[in-house]
Amino acid sequence: MTEDSQRNFRSVYYEKVGFRGVEEKKSLEILLKDDRLGILPPHHESHVQVMTYRKEQYSDVLHALKVIRFVSDATPQSEVYLYMHRLESGKLPRSPSFPLEPEDEVFLAIAKAMEEMVEDSVDCYWITRCFVNQLNSKYRDTLPQLPKAFEQYLNLEDSRLLSHLKACCAVSTLPYELWFKKCFAGCLPESSLQRIWDKVVSGSCKILVFVAVEILLTFKIKVMALNSAEKITKFLENIPQDSSDAIVSKAIDLWHKHCGTPVHSA
Amino acid sequence: MSARLCGPLQVDGSLSRGQGSHPWISDSGVWYVQIWVLENCSPLLTVFGARRGTHTQKVPLAACVHVCLAHVSRVQLGPPRWISFLGHVTEVYLVHLHASVYALFHRLYGMYPCNFVSFLRSHYSMKENLETFEEVVKPMMEHVRIHPELVTGSKDHELDPRRWKRLETHDVVIECAKISLDPTEASYEDGYSVSHQISARFPHRSADVSASSYVDTQNSYGNATSTPYSTSRLTLNTPGQLPQTLSSPSTRLLAEPPQATLWSPSAVCGMTTPPTSPGNVPPDLSHPYSKVFGTTGGKGTPLGTPATSPPPAPPCHSDDCVHLSLPQATAPKKEERTDSARPCLHRQPHVPNDRGLEELHGGKGSVTLSDLPGFLGDLASEEDSIEKDKEEAAISKELSEITTADAEPLVPRGGFDSPFYRDSLPGCPRKTLSASSSTQGTSANPEPLNSSLDKSGPDTPKQAFTPIDLPCGGTGESPAGNRERQASLEASILTPSPCKIPPQRGVGFGSGQPPPYDHLFEVALPKTAHHFVSKKTEELLKKAKGSAEEDFTPSASPMEVLDRLIQQGADVHSKELNRLSLPSKSVDWTHFGGSPPSDEIRTLRNQLLLLHNQLLYERFKRQQHALRNRRLLRKVIRASALEEHNAAMKDQLKLQEKDIQIWKISLQKEQARYNQLQEQRDTVVTQLHSQIRQLQHDREEFYNQSQELQTKLEDCRNMIAELRVELKKANSKVCHTELLLSQVSQKLSNSESVQQQMEFLNRQLLVLGEVNELYLEQLQNKHSDTTKEVEMMKAAYRKELEKNRSHVLQQNQRLDTCQKRILELESHLAKKDHLLLEQKKYLEDVKLQARGQLQAAESRYEAQKRITQVFELEILDLYGKLEKDGLLKKLEEQKPEAAEAAEERLDYCQDGCSDSVTGHNEEAPGRNGETKPSRPGGARGGGGGGGRGGGSSSELSTPEKPPNPRAGPFSSRWETVVGEPTSGTPTTVGSLPSSESFLGMKARELFRNKSESQCDEDGLTVGSLSETLKTELGKDSGVEARAPLTLDGPLLPAPKPDSVGQLRIMDYNEAQLEHS
Repeated sequence: MTEDSQRNFRSVYYEKVGFRGVEEKKSLEILLKDDRLGILPPHHESHVQVMTYRKEQYSDVLHALKVIRFVSDATPQSEVYLYMHRLESGKLPRSPSFPLEPEDEVFLAIAKAMEEMVEDSVDCYWITRCFVNQLNSKYRDTLPQLPKAFEQYLNLEDSRLLSHLKACCAVSTLPYELWFKKCFAGCLPESSLQRIWDKVVSGSCKILVFVAVEILLTFKIKVMALNSAEKITKFLENIPQDSSDAIVSKAIDLWHKHCGTPVHSA
Repeated sequence: MSARLCGPLQVDGSLSRGQGSHPWISDSGVWYVQIWVLENCSPLLTVFGARRGTHTQKVPLAACVHVCLAHVSRVQLGPPRWISFLGHVTEVYLVHLHASVYALFHRLYGMYPCNFVSFLRSHYSMKENLETFEEVVKPMMEHVRIHPELVTGSKDHELDPRRWKRLETHDVVIECAKISLDPTEASYEDGYSVSHQISARFPHRSADVSASSYVDTQNSYGNATSTPYSTSRLTLNTPGQLPQTLSSPSTRLLAEPPQATLWSPSAVCGMTTPPTSPGNVPPDLSHPYSKVFGTTGGKGTPLGTPATSPPPAPPCHSDDCVHLSLPQATAPKKEERTDSARPCLHRQPHVPNDRGLEELHGGKGSVTLSDLPGFLGDLASEEDSIEKDKEEAAISKELSEITTADAEPLVPRGGFDSPFYRDSLPGCPRKTLSASSSTQGTSANPEPLNSSLDKSGPDTPKQAFTPIDLPCGGTGESPAGNRERQASLEASILTPSPCKIPPQRGVGFGSGQPPPYDHLFEVALPKTAHHFVSKKTEELLKKAKGSAEEDFTPSASPMEVLDRLIQQGADVHSKELNRLSLPSKSVDWTHFGGSPPSDEIRTLRNQLLLLHNQLLYERFKRQQHALRNRRLLRKVIRASALEEHNAAMKDQLKLQEKDIQIWKISLQKEQARYNQLQEQRDTVVTQLHSQIRQLQHDREEFYNQSQELQTKLEDCRNMIAELRVELKKANSKVCHTELLLSQVSQKLSNSESVQQQMEFLNRQLLVLGEVNELYLEQLQNKHSDTTKEVEMMKAAYRKELEKNRSHVLQQNQRLDTCQKRILELESHLAKKDHLLLEQKKYLEDVKLQARGQLQAAESRYEAQKRITQVFELEILDLYGKLEKDGLLKKLEEQKPEAAEAAEERLDYCQDGCSDSVTGHNEEAPGRNGETKPSRPGGARGGGGGGGRGGGSSSELSTPEKPPNPRAGPFSSRWETVVGEPTSGTPTTVGSLPSSESFLGMKARELFRNKSESQCDEDGLTVGSLSETLKTELGKDSGVEARAPLTLDGPLLPAPKPDSVGQLRIMDYNEAQLEHS
């Protein structure tokens, strides 16, 4: 909450300079605190109580995990979140050494990214959990269709690039998992990730497609230079981070271009 | 004779000097062969050149030339031995040799000038050969002009076979002849051969030699070189209407020799001329070149200039001449004489110019001028030459006949206007001249004669347009005259030797004595007077011939020399024959001339052979010429055909022109008509335009009108609309009024009814009034009593009225209050509704809030549940490990094999326990363990137990121990972790059979089934039953011990009451073992 006020204070300055991302960050914050993820009820009166519940729940689960020696203080926070999540969903493995499932990895990636964004561990846990839940429930049907949409928009934007990818047979091997399941967690820096997730949380998972398209457009020359699908995938999995803000801004523009004005504007 | 021959060759000295045998001529046969080869070389050369090209012959050619020239030189200079040995005879050979070399020289120079000249240059640049050059080559070179190829051509170009491809052999010969200045060799076709004319003219000499030779030479030269020009000039100069030029081809077609054209300028000028002019050359001028130059040098530039001057230049001169001559032509006859001198001057230059060679021959005398034939005349005629001449003459005759035949028909056709007219007329004499000149060398003078005739006779045709001409001087006469004159000249000037001409020509014209005729002719025609004089002088010169002969210049043509030789030989022969007058020469010779020299016969034979050879050569030449002539004839015929065709075309052209004129006229008419029509059309168009304009105007008017009408229409419409609106308004008014009316009527009716009522009431009032009056009357009748009562009544009435009024007021007030109350209540109601809504909202809010909290709490609860589950799992896990450890130890003691099975059993038991934790319903199936699918914990049991490290010490414990601690912890855990339900569940099973009956029964049944299925092997049905009972008992654990007591004894002697599960497990283990 204190940060929120700080950000507000800064945002005035940022806006003057012309950074758009700040406002979005703020809006994400608001959204996160909003009921978009269902962490807090809309009523402010119950906030305190619910928050205490959440905190207690968090501490209980954490305590339980500690009791059964599933986690220790040395365990990374993201793993802690993962075990907590698994425990709460009743899927806690018998041992921490149990091999991770793909969805666990997704959770881990998102949790790691979220860790950077939110300082409070309780908030972080809850946001992560609800975010993942939203991905698994709300976007269950739309996420698998994103690769096709990606191809479609890439064809609209740069058909040559798409044909090159097709020629390299790289279309099917593109890091869709990273892009659409992990929502670019680990692919883009958190600062820019916030702006994307903001949109995702507010209900548009299509932004992911445009970010992916924009990534390809931005690194078009390098991608065109690469000829094998493996190299392309490898490169796309480890794209340079310096231009991520530009990518996101462009992607949002692209999103506006193709899907009209966003549902909510700050 | 020999001296003369040797003179030009300069062999005399060497001949007399030399001795011994020359390798070449050691055998006269070989010598002959050589000569033969040389003689045949030139014709062969031409043939080769024409047929195959020369590149293959280049080397042999050069070699041949070299050999020949060297040979000649050697013969001349080197070895005179054989000559002396041979004596006079060799001279004959030499002559032959010279002739053949000369011919070869001409061919080579004519065909390959560059190569040949370069060869000469290379060969004679050497000092040792210089002499040969001077002696042999240089004289030969004097007989040729500069070959044009030397300027334009190149060595390689010369050797190009294509050059000769189009040419026939005779063409090549003619080509070579064109280069030659030798009258015997030269061709008269084109402007090249000047020498001939000159030579022909030469015999005639006039006294006025001193005349300027310079200008004239140029003139003549120009004429000679550019015949076509000159001829054309002539035609232009003619005063008549002869615009057409005499094209050179036409002249060629007519086989006109160049000299004829040469004449023409002067002839056209009307100047008396030339024939005599050659005679003008003074004796001094008849000297060799150098001398001539010397003489003429004072007067102007040497002869070199004309030679070098370009061809165009001469025509100019000729033009000048013409200018001069034209007035002269019209001038009186007195002047003609003086004029005639001029043409003479014209001719003069030729003498020094080209005549140089001849002059060398003839020296100063007329003999030199008379050219070879003249010289030969001196040498006397030989049979060969006569024959040759005859042949040639025959050819020429043929040619002339054809040409004349061609020419004659042309005359009428073209008329005076046609170009042919002129050609034909002068053509005739020319032909004859050419024939004569070409055929006989002796008849060289005809040309001068001709020229003189041209003045009088042949000239006239050209001046036919002028009044001076003689009509009779036309076609017929002029040739005849020419010939006659030729004959006469020949007779007079040349030697009386039996020349061919007199007989031939003489027979033809029947003029046996040309001189008298000629004389008369000349007398008759004063123009030719000078001719007469010149002739005289020539005769005089002829007398001096003897001396001139001795001064023979070395540059005489070898051909001439040969001719002379032959003629001489013939003369000698005839003389001898005549002298001897014997039938056979040989006999006479031997008989009368004494013993002839031993080699005489041989030499004669050789000579004969040589002559034969020469004859063959000449015949070959003749054949070639015949070929050429035929071709030329063909050309002539073709040309004439073309001319006819041309004329026909002209006629056609005229017809067409007429047609064209007709068409033009018709065209004009048509144009006029067209113009008329156009005018009409224009007028119509203008009319139509005006109409259109009018119509347009009308249309515009109509348009305006229609617009006005439309506006009116619109106005009307508007008005109609307004009216309609008004109508509507009116209608509405009407309706309104109707309505009012109806209302009014209603009112009326109402009022009527009211009036009726009023009336009725009035009546009633009246009635009541009457009644009242009646009552009043009654009352009055009664008097006082009534007033009191009335007053009382009134007062009561008033009081009552007031009472009622107050009552009404009260009622009204009440009503007001009630109404107010109602309003208040209604507002209250609304407030309450609102409150209700608010309450509902609030309730919702609260609900939501509560739901949120509840959800949070639920999630927390869920989390708690999960936590507890996890904890339970963990606890159970730990328990399982502990039990397993204990059991393992026990089993190790009892049965090592059963250990594993026990382990499994333990796991199942654990499963059952864990299930029981989750719910009571799971208890029964939990007991039945094996049917239930094992939970992950079962599979994990082995690994998990080890991992938790709980059973390390249990292995050491005794077999007795395990049951107790196992049972202990089991139950204790139950109690500790689950608390109340742990003890409750087993007790309920036993204690509450009624409530548990269903589950218990089910469990029993299940167990029974199980045990039965297991007992078929053991036959322990009873045992199994007891087992089931025991389990129940065990579960009930002492709360109820009715049945178990009975069964416990036999089955288990020492079972501990708390180890029922153990027992069951044991049994189960056994059954399992058996089963397995």
